[in-house]
Amino acid sequence: MTGAFMSELLKLRRRGLLLGGGGLLLGFTALFTILGIENATKGATRGRGFHVTVAELSQPDGLVRGIERASTLMGIVMLGIFAAAFGTEYTTGMLRNLLVREPRRVKFLTGKYLALLVFAVVIVLLACIVSIVLALTLAPGKGIDTSAWTSSTGIADTWRAVWHLLVAALGYGTVGAALAIIFRSPVAALAIGVAWILPAEAILSALWSNGQFWLPGQLLSNFASGGSSSVSLARTGLTLVIYWAIIAVGTSMLFSRRDVAT
Amino acid sequence: MSTAAAPFSGGLAVTTTGLTKRYGARAVVDAIDLELPRGVISGFVGPNGAGKTTTLRMLLGLIRPSAGTGEVLGHSITDPASYLARVGALIESPAFYPTISGRRNLEILAALGRHDRRRVTTLLAQVGLGDRGGDVFKSYSLGMKQRLGIAAALLPDPELLVLDEPTNGLDPAGIREVRALLRELADDGLTVLVSSHLLGEIQTICDHLVVIDAGQLRYQGAIDGLISAQTAEVVAIPEHATDLARLAAICTGAGHPGRIEDGAVHAPAPPEWAPELNRLAMRQEITLAALSVSRGTLEDAFFAITDTEGHQILAHAPETEVTA
Repeated sequence: MTGAFMSELLKLRRRGLLLGGGGLLLGFTALFTILGIENATKGATRGRGFHVTVAELSQPDGLVRGIERASTLMGIVMLGIFAAAFGTEYTTGMLRNLLVREPRRVKFLTGKYLALLVFAVVIVLLACIVSIVLALTLAPGKGIDTSAWTSSTGIADTWRAVWHLLVAALGYGTVGAALAIIFRSPVAALAIGVAWILPAEAILSALWSNGQFWLPGQLLSNFASGGSSSVSLARTGLTLVIYWAIIAVGTSMLFSRRDVAT
Repeated sequence: MSTAAAPFSGGLAVTTTGLTKRYGARAVVDAIDLELPRGVISGFVGPNGAGKTTTLRMLLGLIRPSAGTGEVLGHSITDPASYLARVGALIESPAFYPTISGRRNLEILAALGRHDRRRVTTLLAQVGLGDRGGDVFKSYSLGMKQRLGIAAALLPDPELLVLDEPTNGLDPAGIREVRALLRELADDGLTVLVSSHLLGEIQTICDHLVVIDAGQLRYQGAIDGLISAQTAEVVAIPEHATDLARLAAICTGAGHPGRIEDGAVHAPAPPEWAPELNRLAMRQEITLAALSVSRGTLEDAFFAITDTEGHQILAHAPETEVTA
């Protein structure tokens, strides 16, 4: 497993991926943070789109509003990164080389997955840091009181939000990895993953009132925003853990048993 | 299936018994019993779709057999982890990450297999990519990709090297280098299994041969054994053309049907029979002006034992060995 972990880290350490995936993630987070602060209104009523009020942003959790808003897009980017990492092994034919060097397939899969988790954690944390630094820099110019952000409650809220965002991002990535293994293609995995999480789940949740309890995209989004009044964070987390276990067992069995004929 | 008496004494690197792979009702590989000797270069030939790559993939743990058993380097093919650390392989076209350099691609494989990453530089130089290792894989020519594939196969310092079409895309100089490299590796005790369509190439570099067709084993054994058994002809030219018919009759009478062609008698027979023909002709007071053995080529032998039309098969020109 160590070999698979190290080899995947070597593969991930390339300019295209760092600038593409990492840059996209940092860019989205920065954009949402800037738009959130620049469009903050003085009035008491909440605006539309990216609008929040200055009063809302001055709350202890105001620092992470920008990150939270970027969570779904961040998740989609993460889904794409994981799907590409697993799917290209099939499309390039590299999988046969890799499995000759590490024939213990579950160990190979686990090592590769763990390396991607580390990579994902690093870039999500970087995105959070960028967002926080931008928010702290821009907020005073818009008259936002940041004293609550650095209070003990504010710091705790920020840590919690970052943790929720991180878990959700890894969840999206796991979906991408599973789809890539099932469909043996990064493009198919990305297309199906995005189509499911965005339009398909939106339609399903509109038609099915209990969809928020079970649909994976809804659950991940709910977890990223720290839970909701209708679906608690604990229930969301538990359902996601069950899904993760099913995905882990299912994809491991599929990957172990399927012939590598490409 | 025919099997020539094996002159190889170093034990077996690969054995299979009834190795089979079915997709639905179709048997792609049909109950193959392989025996590959250690320390030699074995050629693995067959028409397209014969089941060569599927067989290699089963030996490498990439495909599960539908039936049968096998051992590679003394370990069951149901446990590839027990032997693959000592096996190097290039299967089908060389496959690497296109946007990563050749060097990094090898380093990734070395890290995965826990092989010494310092070997990467040596291997790149060995396959002639010493100055291009830093270039991304997709910028390589087909020949360079092939060389990188061979370098990757050599990463684990293997005891068994499995190469599928290793000279594909190489220029004549490259083919000669690969041939020399394989010979050098075999001389050092490495076992090499080479799958190729280039029968002339196989004939040049291999000691041992496996022929499969339609998923079934047609021949395994010494390469010379197949060529001699399937294609050797004794060719005799009498001093006087009037003796041609009598000479042909002598051959036929000895169990080797003689035919007259271009002023000579041709009789399909092993090379060892040539002196006997000389003696028989002398007894009948026929003086031979020339006596030779035509061996034909691996291509001739291949077509003799397979049903293929051989559209994709390339081979060198026939060779003739003069013995008298």
